[in-house]
Amino acid sequence: MIKFILKRFIDLIPTLLIVITIVFVITRIIPGDPAIVLLGPQASVEDVNEMNQKLGLNEPIYKQYFHYIANLLQGDLGDSIAYNNQSVAGLILERFPNTLILGISAILIALVVGVTAGVVAAVKQNTVIDYSVIVMSLVGVSMPVFWLGLMLVLLFSVNLGWLPSIGIGNLEDGFWNFIKYLILPSIALATIPMAEFARITRSSMLEVVNHDYIKTARSKGLSELRVICKHAFKNSLTPLLTVSGMQISMMLGGAILTETIFSWPGVGRLIIDAIDKRDFMVVQGTVLFIAIVFVLVNLVVDILYKVVNPRVNYSSGKGGGK
Amino acid sequence: MGRKFRLMLFLSVMLILTLALAACVGDPDDEPASNESHDDTSDESNETTSEDNKYGGVLTVAMIDSPMRLDPIDYSGVYESHVIRSIADTLVVYSEDLSEIEPSLAESWTISDDMMIYTFDLREDAYFQPGEFQDGRQMTAEDVKFSLERSANDSAMNRLRGIESVEVIDEFSIEIHLTEPNAALMAMLTDAGNSILPKDEVEGHGDDFGVNLVGTGPFSLEEWATDDYIQLTRHDDYWGQTAFIDELIWKSISDRNMMVNALRTGEVDIAIGIDGQNRQIVEEEEEISLLTTPGLSIEYAALNMDSGPTADKKVREALNLATNVDDLIEGVFQWGGAERSYLPLPQDSWGYFEELEVEVPGYDPERAKVLMEESGYPDGFETDIYVIESRSSHAQILQNQLKENLNIDASVNVVEWGTFSETAASGNAPIYIMGWSWYPDPDFFLYQMLHSDQIGSLGNGYGYHNEDVDELLSLAVSETVDQEERTAIYHDILELVVEDMPRIELTNVEITAGVRNNIQGFNVRADNTFIITNDTTNVWKED
Repeated sequence: MIKFILKRFIDLIPTLLIVITIVFVITRIIPGDPAIVLLGPQASVEDVNEMNQKLGLNEPIYKQYFHYIANLLQGDLGDSIAYNNQSVAGLILERFPNTLILGISAILIALVVGVTAGVVAAVKQNTVIDYSVIVMSLVGVSMPVFWLGLMLVLLFSVNLGWLPSIGIGNLEDGFWNFIKYLILPSIALATIPMAEFARITRSSMLEVVNHDYIKTARSKGLSELRVICKHAFKNSLTPLLTVSGMQISMMLGGAILTETIFSWPGVGRLIIDAIDKRDFMVVQGTVLFIAIVFVLVNLVVDILYKVVNPRVNYSSGKGGGK
Repeated sequence: MGRKFRLMLFLSVMLILTLALAACVGDPDDEPASNESHDDTSDESNETTSEDNKYGGVLTVAMIDSPMRLDPIDYSGVYESHVIRSIADTLVVYSEDLSEIEPSLAESWTISDDMMIYTFDLREDAYFQPGEFQDGRQMTAEDVKFSLERSANDSAMNRLRGIESVEVIDEFSIEIHLTEPNAALMAMLTDAGNSILPKDEVEGHGDDFGVNLVGTGPFSLEEWATDDYIQLTRHDDYWGQTAFIDELIWKSISDRNMMVNALRTGEVDIAIGIDGQNRQIVEEEEEISLLTTPGLSIEYAALNMDSGPTADKKVREALNLATNVDDLIEGVFQWGGAERSYLPLPQDSWGYFEELEVEVPGYDPERAKVLMEESGYPDGFETDIYVIESRSSHAQILQNQLKENLNIDASVNVVEWGTFSETAASGNAPIYIMGWSWYPDPDFFLYQMLHSDQIGSLGNGYGYHNEDVDELLSLAVSETVDQEERTAIYHDILELVVEDMPRIELTNVEITAGVRNNIQGFNVRADNTFIITNDTTNVWKED
């Protein structure tokens, strides 16, 4: 097991290197000189050159690249261009807890609601309940996050006045005050994975409930609840786990939109603002950070996978069922 | 059965919620507008509220951008200057109607006959907010010298030009020596970029002064959360009126719809910049008012005078005649927000020449066709229009009109600001649409956009060159500081420019803000400065 984890860790290095390189190249290729954006339209050519020199942006791109990698190896993500030279690592670490809180609460909502709905739909196959779960998960998957966010705010903040529309609550003002700011963004972020979980749980449950051992369990006289929860659900966990890994990773993308809409001060908001201001260093740093989180989540999922289903053989490099 | 019932209930609730959410889309707000009623109540309360009741509260102002740096010499966005202005003061300011320059940190001033030396007497009751390197000391002439020279020498923004030196005469008076006469100096001194700062704080913080701004203004910087909010608290030693508001929070909301939503829920009290359909939403809401004023902000289509068909004056005139500006405004500003513009100067600038409007060619496609034939383009020609995303609809409408009226095939190039400014400034755009906005002093429009020295910069990217205009532009700032005499010169300049038709004037854009009705004493200004507290304005919040 330890050997397996170690090997997977080493496998991450080329992936991250590719991410770093692509982001580096893209930020250099997109039009818009950060010095011009920084200095504004009245700045003279000399001022712009001077600023580029200061930022090290007038050096050949390969030199900049090696310089960047060398710093990364020392754990230095560099300093922000736009925000008063604050360190990129500092900016990210300040933000990440907020994104984590939002992400965890969204994934909890998605799991609880999505899995329950999926199990129920499978048990009540071909009934009204089943159909409504199918329809709603379809609606959920296809709902754009920013649109959903706006609609939630219109309903719960503007029309009903129950919940705040933007920002993050302060824990010092009490737990409820904090939660109340968390509800709408979490729901917006949870919708797509929730629908996805419902769909997957339903189909894998359906596959399992038709197996002989379920019939055997039933014939042994076990209660229906016990059959479903203990035997069927446990065995349908594997596909759910795969999807969870993917959904959690994709949630980071959703978080960028959600945070922007709800002015939630997380990593997503930071990256959008940095792109806007052509802050290369912050864009590079946050994308790298997100990539690391992404691959780590997938690693954890793979490990869990192996724990749940020891038959999985990773030595061939392929995952998957039996 | 119980379990089944609960399940059904849960699913029904989910379904209803989904439907309710979907239903919200089609119906923005059916409450009728009732603007008159709350205007009356606010006037009444104005009289009945005693001074004491006005104190207190947190005022939250939302803006679409998040400030990067608050060091006056470094700021590059208008929204940054809003924050700077609530913390630091300049020597002089524009009056609310922008007609004249008024005292601020300088109580009075004299200008030498040769217009080379400006002498300022400073107020003696201005104190800095306490910071890390001083505990709220008095502002002196040394600080003024330091701040102005710093701006003149170190700022890439060039907000203070033509300064030879700044001399300290005594503790509370200074002299500014110029390299050449410049009547626009006073206008420059109103810029937030030329705010007066405490020398010890600036030097103490070094590069970090931008996150630790200290000045003599009504509020002091308390906390700054990058791309989220900036929190200010009242400065009790402020020389002007003590702020009614305890705390001022500048909040960045990067989505305009969400900004309006936050205004509707009362999470923000003032939202800067309301446009498009949001204008209607704000106007219809009972609790909010939409404040607007024509701004010192114009939009125009620049025609290349150097190369291509537009180098021919007749073609430029034809393009002017073939453009239906009113239709364009109706198309782009469906919910209002702009008026037609006629001259390369906003209507609120003191140099504006209203009588000249009739000389500007109106919409006359027939006459345009004749001119095109005369200049050898009876079947039109191919050209390019360069524009940034936010003005792409301007370009599309212009493109349609040129095609329909003159058979000109113009392809619209929507490019990003960096690319746009480079293309336009280097004279490589046959036609480009952009906006310009600055101080009320005509020099900041006409010199920048029409003097041949500015060819190669973004202002005069169309290559306008008229020696008479050049000469008059220089004369307007070197001959006299008298506003009336200068106005006469600018009128002459405008006449010459209208004759040459280097551009198609499009719009004069409004400055807007959405304001909760319990906020009193706030107004939008044409020069896009947002004042919460100074010596004449003091915003308060009713309970």
